[in-house]
Amino acid sequence: MRTYLARRVVQSLVVLFLVSLGGFSVLHLAPGGPIAIYTMSPTMSAEDVERLTRLLGLDQPLHVQYTKWVRGMVTADWGRSYRDGRTVGEVIADRIPATLVLMLSAFVVAIVLGLATGIVSAVRQYSVFDHAMTLGAMVALSIPTFWLGLMGIYVFAELLRVLPPGNIGTIGAPFSLADRLRHLALPAATLGLVMVATWSRYTRASMLEVIGEDYIRTARAKGVAGPVVILKHALKNALLPLVTLAGLQLPLIFSGALVTETVFTWPGMGRLFVDSIGYRDYPVLMGLLILTSVLVVVGNLVTDLLYAAIDPRIRHA
Amino acid sequence: MTRISRREVLQILAGGGAAAVLAPGLAHAADTPKRGGQVVVGLSQEPTVFNPLRPHIEVDRGVHFGIFDSLWRTDDKGQFLPNLAVEIPSVKNGGISKNGLEYTVRLRKGVTWHDGKPFTARDVKFTWDLVMNPKFGAYTKVGYDVIAAVETPDDATVRFKLKEPFAPFLTAWGDAWIVPAHVLEGVADPNTAEFNTRSPIGTGPFKFASRVAGDHLVLAANPAYHGGAPPLERVIFKYIPDLTVLYTQFKTGAVDVTGMQGISAEFYGEAKSLPGVALHLHHSPSVEYIYFNHGKPWFKERAVRQALYHAMDKRAIIEQVYYGVPKPIEGYLPSTSWAYNADLPKHEYNAEKARQILDEAGWKLGADGIRAKGGVRLSFTNSTTAGNKLREQTQALLQQNWRAVGVDMQINNMPAAVIWGEFYVKSKFDTLLVGIQASVGDDPDCLNRIHSKYIAAETGSGRNVSQYKNPQVDKLLEDGVREVDRGKRRTIYVKLQETLRSDLAYLPIFSYVRIEGVKQGMLNYKPNSNVLHNTWNMHEWGWRA
Amino acid sequence: MSTPATLALERFVRHRPAVVSVALIVLLGLGAIFAGRLSPRDPVYIDLTHKFARPLTGGHVLGADELGRDVLSRLLHAGRVSLAVGLAAMAVTVVVGAAVGSVAGYWGGLADTVLLRLTDAMLSFPPIFMLLALAAFVRPSLASMTVIIGVTSWMDVTRLVRSQILTLRERDFVQGARALGARPARILARHLFPNTVGIVAVAATLAVARAILLESYISYLGYGIQPPLASWGNMLNNAQSYFATAPWVAICPGLMITVAVASFNFLGDGLRDALDPRHVRART
Repeated sequence: MRTYLARRVVQSLVVLFLVSLGGFSVLHLAPGGPIAIYTMSPTMSAEDVERLTRLLGLDQPLHVQYTKWVRGMVTADWGRSYRDGRTVGEVIADRIPATLVLMLSAFVVAIVLGLATGIVSAVRQYSVFDHAMTLGAMVALSIPTFWLGLMGIYVFAELLRVLPPGNIGTIGAPFSLADRLRHLALPAATLGLVMVATWSRYTRASMLEVIGEDYIRTARAKGVAGPVVILKHALKNALLPLVTLAGLQLPLIFSGALVTETVFTWPGMGRLFVDSIGYRDYPVLMGLLILTSVLVVVGNLVTDLLYAAIDPRIRHA
Repeated sequence: MTRISRREVLQILAGGGAAAVLAPGLAHAADTPKRGGQVVVGLSQEPTVFNPLRPHIEVDRGVHFGIFDSLWRTDDKGQFLPNLAVEIPSVKNGGISKNGLEYTVRLRKGVTWHDGKPFTARDVKFTWDLVMNPKFGAYTKVGYDVIAAVETPDDATVRFKLKEPFAPFLTAWGDAWIVPAHVLEGVADPNTAEFNTRSPIGTGPFKFASRVAGDHLVLAANPAYHGGAPPLERVIFKYIPDLTVLYTQFKTGAVDVTGMQGISAEFYGEAKSLPGVALHLHHSPSVEYIYFNHGKPWFKERAVRQALYHAMDKRAIIEQVYYGVPKPIEGYLPSTSWAYNADLPKHEYNAEKARQILDEAGWKLGADGIRAKGGVRLSFTNSTTAGNKLREQTQALLQQNWRAVGVDMQINNMPAAVIWGEFYVKSKFDTLLVGIQASVGDDPDCLNRIHSKYIAAETGSGRNVSQYKNPQVDKLLEDGVREVDRGKRRTIYVKLQETLRSDLAYLPIFSYVRIEGVKQGMLNYKPNSNVLHNTWNMHEWGWRA
Repeated sequence: MSTPATLALERFVRHRPAVVSVALIVLLGLGAIFAGRLSPRDPVYIDLTHKFARPLTGGHVLGADELGRDVLSRLLHAGRVSLAVGLAAMAVTVVVGAAVGSVAGYWGGLADTVLLRLTDAMLSFPPIFMLLALAAFVRPSLASMTVIIGVTSWMDVTRLVRSQILTLRERDFVQGARALGARPARILARHLFPNTVGIVAVAATLAVARAILLESYISYLGYGIQPPLASWGNMLNNAQSYFATAPWVAICPGLMITVAVASFNFLGDGLRDALDPRHVRART
């Protein structure tokens, strides 16, 4: 187990190194740069702009800039934003809460609805409900998130006027949980709906496998009530593969969150990414890249370990 | 900066080239607003740089106007208004020495920083020291590097000793925000001080209160402001990146002021009839052009440029795409300029004439419907900032217009961070659809932009990205900077506009008109084209009682 | 007598959504191929007198957009773009994925380890982050979009192909071929690839669905296909502003994306059922 863990950690570090190299190259080799936003400024002269370029170290050869960045990363110095000089850590940390709130709410929506529909579908296999759910799940997976969001805004915010069209809260008003929840409703539902589909399908498949097992038939034969059988025996064992799903889904939600945050003007990390691309704020972009890659790698690792720990049939040599 | 002789400077100063009026400071307007309330300013970019001396963009300025003061400010009528200074220095009041090398400024007494400490001349000197400090990344040194020394004979007097006479000194220091010495002098690295991004301290009408990253920031009134406590309790800057969403929020009343880019022309029709809203239409000195790259084969001939101008349905662009909001223009100066030439020939939309001109110039129609001459097809690209909807529509229209006369225009748009880099500066484009403010402040000089010596692609510096070379124009530009008499200068610049128009160095389309939306009931909102942000007088804003 | 092929076909036909999807895909395909002939108007023709024309007015079945361009015509031509990108990106994905997967699976050892690490690295990039970063930095065009999407999606195919080849490698018929001295290329081509066609086909249809969806995301954000060339995604670029004046301009492209993506997803589902009987819902 120890050697396995060690091996995986080393491999993860190699992966992260490749990710950082790839990301750095793409950013710096592409046309344009962070100085372009100052070119058209009427208050800065051409000399000022050149001075700025030197100040940010952008005139140095690429490998020098990269080495500097790596050295910084290793010493927990993620660099400073080109836009305002804040530390990258501070910039990203400021945005994490908003994204977390959105993601977790979406997760809750997805899991609750997904499990419920999945279980019912599995129990009532081939019923109208089951077919409708399967169809619906597939369609839900195929809807572009931003379009779903836009439709949601159109229906609920413009036509019916029951929900706000965006932002995290009413501007200038004191904090109110009700207000925050109202603002959270549409974005969380949009982001969650797409995930409901995946959760529903996986739950259904997992439950079906378990229901077919002998010990379930035995429990039924023994006269244990239907729902109890499902909830107590089947579900517990069906949850195993779902753990894998959770581990894999978590980092991927950052992607869906990006588009949702754009549509709903949500001040999270996804929006930060889009803005930083506009400013070509390389340090922040690299920071976001590494952060999300670390999360993916750690997510995978934890999932694998959990799986190995829970299921005695799977042991890594 | 172009060199002007000492004598010339003094003549300008004596002749009152810059309006130096002894105004009673930034006083409240006649219509008195009630006390209290808040104003929400909607911005399509997020302000994050709070130290006004560090590199920043337009949107950051909006916040600086609230937190900081400068020695004086330019108002909406182009006059200087004393701010931290008691009066504008001039030769008459002895503020400017006869040789133009010494400026003495008397400072207001009793001004305090937001943390209660008194403002003194030391802070002004510190500001200059900081900008000149080679370790500090100041956003500009223009106006600072011309100063040889700063003396502070007493707490309320500052004396600037210049290396040489510098006519734009007053304008430059109208832009110079004063920062507190006692906060920043002890800091290890002023580039990364907390002051810059978390806790700015100024002498302005508002204090920095709080910020939710990516969402909004709150400024709270400074009751001890030297110009009198502002009527408003709070000003909130809300960041809404999408202009349509910004407009929607303005419509529903969530946003009180549509800052910076204002309201897009396409919403003008609807916005006009919105209840509870006041629209301010104001001219901005920027002009929208089609820039040619004269280094490319097609545009070396005047005939081609002429034909393209005739084939362009300029009126349709202004009336249909921009809903008639901006004004058609034939030169680079807006109609509000004192050197504006009103007699320039008007554009004539005539596709047949365009075809004629091209035929006569030897550009024959090919089998594919595109003209060619000497093996060169009349096919080029037009670039602008990607994502600008109205510009994209303009391009689509141009493409169709020019196709009809046998010209193939391809669209090649890119994000701002790409197009305004080397692509622009080093003249790598074919044509651009671009908006430029050619003159800074009220001065019609544009030497840097069109003089043949300022082509960055050739000499490494300068903003003549069109690579336009015309010895006549060069001479006019040089004369214009040297001439001191305003009447004579006007003649020169009128001739310059005439020459540029007849030679069609670029194709002028319209002069910008900003549509600023303000919620009805808000008082003292004054658009000011002489400053970069319309929050310049937020200490006067308030709600009708 | 039932061959494996006819049995597979039977199973496929039983999957009703998949059958409907085939029909839909054929329809979309025809629409895309014959977009020129089917379009009532030139999709880039600007007619400012017809700005935001309502559906069924002025000859515009689905109305007109802000420049008076016919929505139906644009929709058909945009379909061509979106579907083309989807299919082409799928091709890139399959080719790259199969190549990497077979090398890793067949040769194993160092090649396997290196390629697996590379695959993991690519998988650690959150997909849309990577896509956005690449698209924002590359000059957008049909070709570049195809390459970017293809190059960021091959990992799933690689894993599938690799695991399939690992399983098959130890089978008798492969061992036999090796013993006879057959060259690796021959073994791969004659024995291994034919047996991976099934899973690759499923993965390919899902890849098309994913590619169409991703293209719409990047184009919506403004970094993908640039106007005036229309794609379903960039027609939604300014969708927010259409709701007040012309909601149909915002609804139609989104609907088309959903239909196209769902069709390919169902098709993939049907193929999976048809080709792998274990996946068919077990009858208790």
